[in-house]
Amino acid sequence: MVVYLLRRMLLAIPTLWLLGTLVFLLSRMLPGSFGEERFLNPEASFYSQSSQGSREAAFIEYRQRTGQHLPLFYFSFPPVSQPNPHPEAAEEQPSPSSYSYLLPQFTWNGTSNQYHRWLSGILTGDFSTSYRTGQPVLEMIWNSIGNTFWLLLAAMVVTLALALELSILMAKKRMQWLRRLLLPSLFVVDSIPMLVLALLLLVLLANPDFLQLFPVYGMGYYVSESLSIWQAMGQRIQFMALPLLALVLVNLPYITNQVYSSLKASLQAAYTRTARAKGLPEHLVIRRHALRNALLPLITIVSDFFPALVSGSILVETIYAIPGIGRLLIESVLARDYPVLVAIILLVLVVRIVAYALADTAYAWADPRIKRKLA
Amino acid sequence: MRHIWQSIKSLWRSKWGFKTALLYLALLLLLALVLPLLPLPYAPNYLDLRHPFLSPFTAAAMASGHPLGTDGLGRDLLANVLYGARTAFLISLPVMLGATLIGVALGTMAGYFGNGGLKQPLHRVMCWALGVPALLYYGLYLPLNFSKWDLGYRHAMLSMVLLLGLLILLWLVSTGLKRWFPYWRKAVALPVDKAVMRLTETLTSIPRFVLILVLASFIPPSLPLLVLLLVFTLWPATARLARAEMLRIRQLPYFEAAQSIGNRPARLIWRHALPNLAGPVLIAFTFGLGGLLALESSLSFLNIGVPATLVSWGRTISSIRSNTAAWWLVVFPGGMLSLTVLALYTCSYYLSQVFSSKSSL
Amino acid sequence: MRKINVALTCFFLLLFTFCSQPERAPEEVRVRMAVEPETLSPVSYSNAGALQIINLLFHSLLSADLGTNEIMPYLAKDMPTVVRNDSTTLFTYEIREEAEWTNGSPVTAEDVAFTLKVAKAPLLNNESLKPQLEFIQDIRMDAANPRRFTFVCSGYAPEMELLTGDFFILPAYLYDPENLLQHIEVANLNGDLSELENDEKLKAFAAKFNSPDYGRNPKLLQGSGGYTLENWENGQYLTLTRKKDWWGNNTSNTQHLTAIPQRVSFQVIPDMTTAVLALKNRQLDVLEGIPAAEFEQLKQQDSFLKDYALHTPDAYEFTYAGINTRRPKFADKRTRQAIAHLLGIESVIKVSQQNYATPTVGPIPPSVTDFYNTSLRPYTFDPEKATELLKAAGWVKENGGWHKHINGKKEQLTIEVIYRAGSHSYENAASILQQNADQVGIPVQVLGVESSLLASKSRQHDFDLFFRSLGGNPFAFNFKPLLHSNYAKEGGLNYTGFGTPESDRILDRISSTVTSREEQARLLKRLQEIMYEEAAFISMYYTKERVAIHRRFANAKISGLKPNYDVSAFTLKED
Repeated sequence: MVVYLLRRMLLAIPTLWLLGTLVFLLSRMLPGSFGEERFLNPEASFYSQSSQGSREAAFIEYRQRTGQHLPLFYFSFPPVSQPNPHPEAAEEQPSPSSYSYLLPQFTWNGTSNQYHRWLSGILTGDFSTSYRTGQPVLEMIWNSIGNTFWLLLAAMVVTLALALELSILMAKKRMQWLRRLLLPSLFVVDSIPMLVLALLLLVLLANPDFLQLFPVYGMGYYVSESLSIWQAMGQRIQFMALPLLALVLVNLPYITNQVYSSLKASLQAAYTRTARAKGLPEHLVIRRHALRNALLPLITIVSDFFPALVSGSILVETIYAIPGIGRLLIESVLARDYPVLVAIILLVLVVRIVAYALADTAYAWADPRIKRKLA
Repeated sequence: MRHIWQSIKSLWRSKWGFKTALLYLALLLLLALVLPLLPLPYAPNYLDLRHPFLSPFTAAAMASGHPLGTDGLGRDLLANVLYGARTAFLISLPVMLGATLIGVALGTMAGYFGNGGLKQPLHRVMCWALGVPALLYYGLYLPLNFSKWDLGYRHAMLSMVLLLGLLILLWLVSTGLKRWFPYWRKAVALPVDKAVMRLTETLTSIPRFVLILVLASFIPPSLPLLVLLLVFTLWPATARLARAEMLRIRQLPYFEAAQSIGNRPARLIWRHALPNLAGPVLIAFTFGLGGLLALESSLSFLNIGVPATLVSWGRTISSIRSNTAAWWLVVFPGGMLSLTVLALYTCSYYLSQVFSSKSSL
Repeated sequence: MRKINVALTCFFLLLFTFCSQPERAPEEVRVRMAVEPETLSPVSYSNAGALQIINLLFHSLLSADLGTNEIMPYLAKDMPTVVRNDSTTLFTYEIREEAEWTNGSPVTAEDVAFTLKVAKAPLLNNESLKPQLEFIQDIRMDAANPRRFTFVCSGYAPEMELLTGDFFILPAYLYDPENLLQHIEVANLNGDLSELENDEKLKAFAAKFNSPDYGRNPKLLQGSGGYTLENWENGQYLTLTRKKDWWGNNTSNTQHLTAIPQRVSFQVIPDMTTAVLALKNRQLDVLEGIPAAEFEQLKQQDSFLKDYALHTPDAYEFTYAGINTRRPKFADKRTRQAIAHLLGIESVIKVSQQNYATPTVGPIPPSVTDFYNTSLRPYTFDPEKATELLKAAGWVKENGGWHKHINGKKEQLTIEVIYRAGSHSYENAASILQQNADQVGIPVQVLGVESSLLASKSRQHDFDLFFRSLGGNPFAFNFKPLLHSNYAKEGGLNYTGFGTPESDRILDRISSTVTSREEQARLLKRLQEIMYEEAAFISMYYTKERVAIHRRFANAKISGLKPNYDVSAFTLKED
């Protein structure tokens, strides 16, 4: 099993490299570049703080200092040069080069290019530094990933536990009324856009005009004396309650639906019938026999859950002012902070690949039939 | 097929929930179609600047002809809610259909062929490998550039002619290779499954708003862009699902039997796999549609250019942010949204029952 | 059932703990910040929030006092004495005697020289400050007085006085303890510096100075200001505490040098809706930039008004519409005037600013009464006038659209409006223009574009009409880079291509030889007339800021200048 997992991870490396390259090149296609606005278009004001020329010079200097003046890749494919703005004039004086644009031109740049630097940096463990703050990229990601990770983990655990309990309840014969009530209301919750849901929770549960139960934003205040672990945790839970609730509510409908339908399917299977025939009480039939088999599809869902939530938590992190990876991502995209941007996307990719690999392994572990196929 | 139709009919007769939901959806669709003919007092994008933020059902609202009130710019809420339904059907539905089609096509292919199932002779592989970049460059990139510079059709035509010539040349060369060099006749297995899986992994890892920004550098933010982008980012989910289902179906005895009697892959997939896929895909479709209906409210929150003139429930809902006291901006369009989604889910719930009962036969 | 009971008890216990809001120290001021500062380096800071914080940590020679809206000497003892020579101007400053760094050593001219070196040297992370100080050629020390020095500046411009004092002075003892920059002369830091790039000492200094520590480490962010950085919790908040015995407390006759609140904490809250809720929850003490509709709501709530005071100072920021005069269809000024009549400025103010704005005829704020041209009337929505103007400009209405032969080609009058996506006030203005123009028969397309795309489109003159805002101040009115036709080339700041020979002459005069305030007023009034007439750069309105401040504080120094209040001056009211 471990061998299989290891092989899977090793095989993922070329994919990762290929996708990383793609993301690296794709990110540079964003309009504008870092610092352009900052240095060339400072907050235009009533008086000139500096001349355009000196600003341009400073911008060029900046790009040179940070290596952004280098070509992007080993070869470049220059944009098709405009043949001639006035084709009529060109006809009068046919120039030999006027159709050269029909052939793509490649220029070889050698190894002094941004991609080469970036890749060799990564191979030596150096993910370069952020353009915005000058901090190492890994440090920035490390600082913000903790918040997101705990939030997501808590959201996942709560959602799964709730989904399981709810589907078990709904699967019971005498809980028909609950199913009738719960399924449609879950659909309704699912139809509320995340933005509205998050705002609604704020307006309803953290508003002195209505119910003031939770703090509105952030992850805690500054306190001069240090707190004990329990106090700190209490504070953390208090601040995390609303974002957690939002994430759980957003994800609950889909997952509950999936768990419930697979539970229902396994209740109809032959082995459950046997168990029931044995005379086991209903809740034991469900918990001992049906649930175990219904959990298989859950593996896929969980493996999808984590990576998808990284982008899904952008809204929650912005609204509840949690400094997480989603906010870091949006800030770096808007500022064109490429090193951070590429690193985050790569991280999401790695998480995804690892999650899928783990899911496959878990399948194999849970279902011996698949194990044989993998070996 | 007839079996399915019959079970739907019996559902219609026996389940009132299904009946109401279907009726509601049909009514909504009808409304969306005839809406431009209805005598509404205000157009959805008309700004009644004298009456911003009118609360609904008040005397002022009734007197000015805005029974459901107005938003911050004085746009009539009634018109916006009704036209929002139109957008929901005319944009969200085609988008989801497109995404589902692409997803099912790629997913079933990946699931059916796996990594060794699709074998093609080498000369044809080469033909494709060279032809597609040429198509992209001469057929898409150059004409796009020309239209950006307003160069007229002469240059675009030239590049098209060149493209055609190249493709013909490529075809000639590959047939020649096939005829005279046996090496090129060797069949190679195409890793369809791997390619599709990697593609879905990438697309789902890159956040949607980054993709929007990249695309926006080529095309200005507009409706076609939005549609393109949504299709582009929504298909991977369906593809993964379809692939998993296809893998399962491929193991089933009836499918193996159909395969062994020498059915062609296209027929196999179409006749034997697709009907079995329909249930799970339908669920994914409705869930996707439900999410899509209000997606642009989140997009505009992230400062991503959704055309400001696009009338939608999401636009009205997200305008709550400038005035959290204007509850009617969320309640009416949100209510419609929830109702529609609920109706969709109800339909898909019963329909998936039909499909699952059929597949268990 | 038992399980449910346990769960319920837990839930209510949790609720109970949540309801108990943490006690707050009354002398702490809590301020919202929209974006976390990227760095607090006084040399390379990049946003307004960072500037507000650095202002509490460091001092510049001169700065604006928000209490009086005037430029005041901060680290300097007095305003500089100015001597104008042929090609250079000399500004002589003296630093306050009391001024000292955190370790107690005095602030001297050497520190100013060190700051100039840091700002002008190559290899350092100083590119945003460097262009601003390029005009300072040299610094001359006074041999007799270590706190006296003279800046030698090239040329003359009216805003130079402000600019020579408008940068933060760094402590040389802390930033360069090894004296790595000692051997470099300020006078040598002009022109070509490629030789210096190989200087080993400079390289060593750059390696240190460019590290993020110089923008984050509380030990290094110690200036002459009354506060020190106490804590920076990543992405959540920054807290500053007052220095124990700060020199500014002992200076006489300086109302503007203050450090009164014991602790100031800046809370990072990106979303405005959340910030307003936090304010309602009494989790914040100060909030600026409240959306107009919310502000109206807050005004109605008595319980809120009992705790918070609302202020609406006239801001120095205005919104304008820019029309690209280089497009042949907009070349005629009557066409542009017609469009100006379709902007519906009064509706924009009413709808998107809830009347928290003042219409203006030109870029001069109406609150600066002696420069504002009162003889002009702001453009109002007037479809008849617009039609008339269009006809006069040679447009003919056929098939529901306006057409004209331009360079032998028949062209239809259409407008594509671009603005920064996500900005509601621009979006509203664009929608209103669309509707108004539609009444006359001009099709308008509205496009919200991402901000860097907007910047590049404006720079490359690839637009029909845009909405933008400009910030300013009441001290200097030199519009040359914005409006002079010399700056209308691709890449220049004059995006609209505005400029007549007369306006160019006026701008040249204002930026160089104006002597009296009367003459400046005359020139500026004429400039407003020309701009009004040309209608390429159509100033629409000046906004009013909307600020809420907790009532336990007095002396907030509300001002139209950013950040609209001086948090260091807040005093606790005694009950």
